[in-house]
Amino acid sequence: MSGGIAVGGGARVAEVGEVAAVGRGGEPSWLRARRDDAWELYEATPFPSTRSEEWRYTDIERLLPLGDLERSAIGPNWSGELPERLRRVLASDGEGAGRVVEMDGRVVSARLDPGVAAAGVALSSLADAACSADPVVRELLGTQAVPASDGKFPALNAALWSDGVFVHVPPGVKVELPIRLSRWVSRPEAPTFTRVLIVAEERSNIAFEDEILSPDFESGTLVSTAVEIFARRGARVRYVSLQRMGRRGCHLANQRTVAERDSSVDTLNVALGGSVDRVDLNARLVGPGASSEMLGLYFGEDGQHFDFNTSQDHMAPHAHSDLLYKGALDGRARGIFRGIIRVHEGAQRTDAYQTNRNLLLSDHAVATSLPNLEIEADDVRCSHGATVGQLDSEAIFYLMSRGLERGQAERLVVRGFLGEVLSRLGPGVVADKVMRTIEAKLVR
Amino acid sequence: MRKSPILAVRGLRASVAETGVEILRGVDLEIRAGEIHAIMGPNGSGKSTLAKVIAGHPGYEADGGHVRLRGEDLLGLEPDERAQAGVFMAFQYPVEIPGVSIANFLRSALQARLEDGEELDLFDFQDLLSGCMELLGMDPSFAQRAVNDGLSGGEKKRNEILQMAVLKPALAVMDETDSGLDIDALKVVAAGVNALREENPEMSVLLITHYQRILDHIQPDMVHVMVNGRIVESGGPEVALELEAQGYEEYKRTHAA
Repeated sequence: MSGGIAVGGGARVAEVGEVAAVGRGGEPSWLRARRDDAWELYEATPFPSTRSEEWRYTDIERLLPLGDLERSAIGPNWSGELPERLRRVLASDGEGAGRVVEMDGRVVSARLDPGVAAAGVALSSLADAACSADPVVRELLGTQAVPASDGKFPALNAALWSDGVFVHVPPGVKVELPIRLSRWVSRPEAPTFTRVLIVAEERSNIAFEDEILSPDFESGTLVSTAVEIFARRGARVRYVSLQRMGRRGCHLANQRTVAERDSSVDTLNVALGGSVDRVDLNARLVGPGASSEMLGLYFGEDGQHFDFNTSQDHMAPHAHSDLLYKGALDGRARGIFRGIIRVHEGAQRTDAYQTNRNLLLSDHAVATSLPNLEIEADDVRCSHGATVGQLDSEAIFYLMSRGLERGQAERLVVRGFLGEVLSRLGPGVVADKVMRTIEAKLVR
Repeated sequence: MRKSPILAVRGLRASVAETGVEILRGVDLEIRAGEIHAIMGPNGSGKSTLAKVIAGHPGYEADGGHVRLRGEDLLGLEPDERAQAGVFMAFQYPVEIPGVSIANFLRSALQARLEDGEELDLFDFQDLLSGCMELLGMDPSFAQRAVNDGLSGGEKKRNEILQMAVLKPALAVMDETDSGLDIDALKVVAAGVNALREENPEMSVLLITHYQRILDHIQPDMVHVMVNGRIVESGGPEVALELEAQGYEEYKRTHAA
């Protein structure tokens, strides 16, 4: 199968655009043009194959039966009650600055704390924002961070996205509590394409937590997300992606963060659910003094397949980036980490680190770790490291000799191993939720 | 009236699980409640192996004989079951468990002793832990550090003593606890053991050491000399002093494999 998703040709794109624009007075022509261009790029771009270095360990054609996916990219508007699991998550998330619920690729509610709204922060459905001709959306949507030209899936997403979230924080506004996006995917064999665009103007602060949930599926279901984050001078952005889909859920994420002078963009990618999760994350440090902490955590079991493809682009001097991805793999799970630090010419005094650690809990689990450096400046501090280890039998004996059963001892070691990432993140809803999910996986 | 033994080792033979090389060739040992026994011996004599076999280390296979704690045979038990029965081994090389705090770890260990459905009272636990730390003269913040991760050699050994204090074993097996410690650190550790003994006079101690010096600080009731996987001499504290004077050479000659 070489054609990718069976969603027809240009006519289909137009239809998607129409569906996305229903009730919004139609899509503006610039957006139509972007979708058309993206579709052309999609058709012109070969399907990623394992012959390419970046997709070598993820045979996406085999893992994701895209041909089986339903032709319609857009589902009907969600009607009726929210699913029980989603309601529980919403209830337990606690207080935030804002809350967006997205059902099958469409935003069904977007609420912002009145105080935060009064400060000028904008939070809305991305489709609404695009159709209401928001100039920031028009300038930045798919143009600089995750353009269609990035690859097959970015192009497909740019052509077919149905909705998503737009966050705009005005200069100097500091939002303390996170804005939370809860995405629910319910349709088996149907693709969902959504996007997030976050623009934090000078000296502003914002935290965004993006969670994807679904029931178990009998057959492959695709969620494609494109995340574009801009931190203007001195701004601070924290972005968390938490993937807790059910069985046979597939997540393809294209994330790019752009950090200007003295700004920071910190990200955390958590992959716990689904069958396939591929995250392409590019952190661009474009201004001096910019900083990015990049955290990742994954726990695979059964045949789960997690593939992280990260890059840290240092394009300005005196910038700092620090990546730590840790994963535990049980059953026949597969974990791939490919990371590169690129220090561009002139990016002196770069401080860049990259660490990937894997803990194998079964003889059949496999971890592949490929850290890399590409340095074109001479005054830099860079390091990278990767480890793949098994449970230390001495550690297990040590804990058992204090009275813990073998299972408890193993759980404690795994918890401690993954806990390092969460302790860097700090306490909060995300850390609690991740720990609870890990606990549930550990007792199975 | 002599008490019945807490620990009874009879004819214990054991080998390295992976290679089958025999290390213990028939060890007999009896320790009664509240007694401190020291086992001394040259490198490779099997004294550390004895500690590990008692605790159930998977790297060794017991090939014969028995090890009984208060009459219960330990050899068929998992390491955690031995701990529940009252055995504690202070490790020569305590293992680092990154990301797990000492307090959390000890809470899990105490929780593991309770029946299913029973919950450890957190306030009781805090009281117990701070009481033990006070007894050992430790700073309360120590319990928030990761288990052995980033601790100095002396701190690791003190951590072992702290665990011993919290878990209150019937039998503490101390595997070369003195190794790698300078004299000040050794005194601190020995003072900890003595403080625990004062609190809990029924606790028996099996002290495994290469050197006599720790016995200046922890007074043994009995000293055994182990050579080539057997105990070749047993007596009072004077045995250690003789050893200190003569060295192991004479024993090695007479008890060559």
